[in-house]
Amino acid sequence: MSFTEQLSEIPWGLVWPLIAIQLILMTAALIDLNRKRSTNGPAILWVFIIIFINTIGPVLYFTVGRRHS
Amino acid sequence: MNPVLEVSGLTKQYDGFRAVDGLTFALEEHTATALIGPNGSGKTTTLSMLAGLLRQSSGTIRFNGAGNDPRSTIGFLPQYPNFFPWMTAMEYMELAAGLSGLGSREVRTACEKTLGFVGLGSAGKKRLGGFSGGMKQRLGLAQAIVHRPALLLLDEPVSALDPAGRREVMEMLKELGESTTILYSTHILNDAEEMTDQLLFLRNGQMIEQGPLHEVRKKYGGSGYRVLFADRKAAERFAGAAPWDANADGQAVTISGESVSMEELLRFAAEHSQGITDIGRASIRLEDIFMKVVEKP
Amino acid sequence: MRQFSLFLGKEWREQARSFKLVWVPLVFIFFGALEPLTYHFLPQILESVGNLPEGAAFTLPEMSGADVYASLTGQYQTVGLLVLVLAFMGSLSGERKSGTGTLLYVRPISYAAYYLSKWTAAVGLAVLSVWLGYGMAATYIVQLYDPVPGFPDVVLFLLVMSVWIAFAVTLTMTASAALPTGGAAGAALGILFIGLMIDGIVGAYWTWSPWKLQAYGLAFLTGSPDSGDLAGSLGVTAGLTILLVLSGILLARKNASKAKV
Repeated sequence: MSFTEQLSEIPWGLVWPLIAIQLILMTAALIDLNRKRSTNGPAILWVFIIIFINTIGPVLYFTVGRRHS
Repeated sequence: MNPVLEVSGLTKQYDGFRAVDGLTFALEEHTATALIGPNGSGKTTTLSMLAGLLRQSSGTIRFNGAGNDPRSTIGFLPQYPNFFPWMTAMEYMELAAGLSGLGSREVRTACEKTLGFVGLGSAGKKRLGGFSGGMKQRLGLAQAIVHRPALLLLDEPVSALDPAGRREVMEMLKELGESTTILYSTHILNDAEEMTDQLLFLRNGQMIEQGPLHEVRKKYGGSGYRVLFADRKAAERFAGAAPWDANADGQAVTISGESVSMEELLRFAAEHSQGITDIGRASIRLEDIFMKVVEKP
Repeated sequence: MRQFSLFLGKEWREQARSFKLVWVPLVFIFFGALEPLTYHFLPQILESVGNLPEGAAFTLPEMSGADVYASLTGQYQTVGLLVLVLAFMGSLSGERKSGTGTLLYVRPISYAAYYLSKWTAAVGLAVLSVWLGYGMAATYIVQLYDPVPGFPDVVLFLLVMSVWIAFAVTLTMTASAALPTGGAAGAALGILFIGLMIDGIVGAYWTWSPWKLQAYGLAFLTGSPDSGDLAGSLGVTAGLTILLVLSGILLARKNASKAKV
């Protein structure tokens, strides 16, 4: 089975909400990160966590990544 | 006289040490009182107890003319006020004013007026997360006065500010002092000298001196004279030759006002005029009193 | 009442501006979509992953709609609770630690209004998120599974679930009133998860408890729960929640003196 065939087999109608949620979470986390400067640990690390760890990344940022001062 | 606040035997005991030990004092209406002492002498703890944040271990605090919740007659400014960074200045002021019991109709105008008074009139829509230290201090003052409290408690209100900001805030406090009773702590004694009716000196939690500024001044040498010289040697020579209590400090010689009259001093100076650049009356500076009081055994 | 609405306005604004209003519901919605999809496409997923010996036959149990709800509930009982505790662990302790609470506590505030406004905002957001999550799951389940539980049964299940979620969030809030943020998270998670563990081991002997609610709720999807046990558990949970709220108010007042000055 070729890659394009595999792609066309994915039921996009059912899967797109997952991707949308993923993108919204990521965008919200990045906007928030850009707005406040204080994070636990280096900010650039959080950029990678937010972008590359699905779903959990942004959630980790929102729960333990922000430092309130 | 009508005291706004009467404190008696106020004590805060922590495990093993007394942060505040038996303070007794009263604040008369529309007076300004400076709480002075070295770091760790119990100034902040005292103010926190008066503000109702800390409960005293013993002693009484009496607010005269306050309703059942004395907190409604108090405005409090901590040394480093902390605000919600996601709020705007106006939102914060409206929350503060509303919680302090201002009616919904007066809140808006009171907040605008107060922000204008502290010089933040144009910053109402700004998020507090972006406020500088000086702006936070101003907002801190604004939230403390927006409900027109009878008593203002200020913890080091100007020490975090630059000289220009300090001057401005001192002017604001003087203006407020005309209609409000103020108790503030400070370690900047020039400021205290400028705006104070009463002094309270703390050391290790104990009140080691208190009273109106002029009385304390009198007690610690009162007014005297200061003679300035062109160089230190001349000053030392003069102090050494003087028959009364004279202290040489650099190019200046200070002479206690009790030991000699102006005539006597001038007569002596006429004979020992070498190197004199200036002769005048000098009242003892608060800083000198502070040193004497704090070092007193 | 005036103070309550002022405080509630502040909480609402904070939830919006810290994106809590966005990410907490989205996490629940995400799992709500993922769970039914995963089970439906599990055979294909396993096939495409490969690595299976030639001719290995799979006998995956046929899942009904109710099974998927149960398995999603299992997710919410672990990841969901964790997210809720992490989201609300700093509600009160954070304002003490940062010192933002100090300027509230020196005002003539009612600590009941203070705590209850936070409680309302947190429980509201948590319950809303859980409903949205199951709602998302329902839209997938009706498309992909057969048989599916009836709509009224799902609503009954969600009502029971809401009581359990409200209890879990209240526990977190009161822990935050009592302890610093880290301790609050530890205490809340400890009590919630140890409770679930104990319930799993010796739960058969004890039929009235908050930790039983999810099981009783799920029973609506396949039949109906023992109404006496359900009522008992709801009563015990409501009672505990009220106790937690009252002690939360007292602790918020008592610990105001721990706020940074």
